[in-house]
Amino acid sequence: MDSSNKILLASSTKNLSVLRKFIESKAIDFGFDESTIIQIILSVDEACTNIIKHAHKYDENEQIEVETKADKTEFKIILKYKGRGFDPNDLHSPDMKEYFSKYKVGGLGVPIMKKFMNKIEYVHKNSDYNSLTLIKVL
Amino acid sequence: MEEFSINTKNQENIEILYLNGFLDAHTSVELENCLEKLISEGKYRIIVNFEKLSYISSAGLGVFMAFIETARDNAGDIKLCGMSDKIYNIFDMLGFPILFEIYKEENSAIGKFS
Repeated sequence: MDSSNKILLASSTKNLSVLRKFIESKAIDFGFDESTIIQIILSVDEACTNIIKHAHKYDENEQIEVETKADKTEFKIILKYKGRGFDPNDLHSPDMKEYFSKYKVGGLGVPIMKKFMNKIEYVHKNSDYNSLTLIKVL
Repeated sequence: MEEFSINTKNQENIEILYLNGFLDAHTSVELENCLEKLISEGKYRIIVNFEKLSYISSAGLGVFMAFIETARDNAGDIKLCGMSDKIYNIFDMLGFPILFEIYKEENSAIGKFS
């Protein structure tokens, strides 16, 4: 078990598996059930995939800091990264009937995050500091 | 690194893909290449078996969206089967059963092609 609450990852989809194992370990420690743990892992995977793709444009020299914090009832995953920021709260989830009727591709990461997490907080100070926090309540 | 692989077989003129492991933004490229090859070869009758798939993210879901219209336009389909509850719940939560035929058993999916 990883006792540290923080990891620093090179911004690459190759590292999504490392990310998922880290989040799984912390979510188990916090006491979530299996189905909730899957929801959290998936949400963090989607958030990091968006950062890798849109903020860092697959530049593996960029980094993402991943930190978990827990109190009695809230489990927080904080992602800190440089580059172009994006607040998931600004994006409306698509109408899925229209999505399927038009055979759309992509754009489901944010809806997954919103569906599975209780709260998403985003702070953009400048291009050198973005912070995205995903919160799940026990 | 968690692994992902695809095994394939042809049965009754249907291409059956067996997914193994973890399907995410990194590994979905392999599935995309596999489906692209089948479609380019005119193989439009496709079943994807999820029995040994442990994980899927939206990158994996997107691959099926990218090819189903072409398959159906050519009298084929991409039918899905063998999902664990945790995988099915992700498809279901997003409404994928609206568009995709999803079966518990591979034989049921095969039967729907005949």
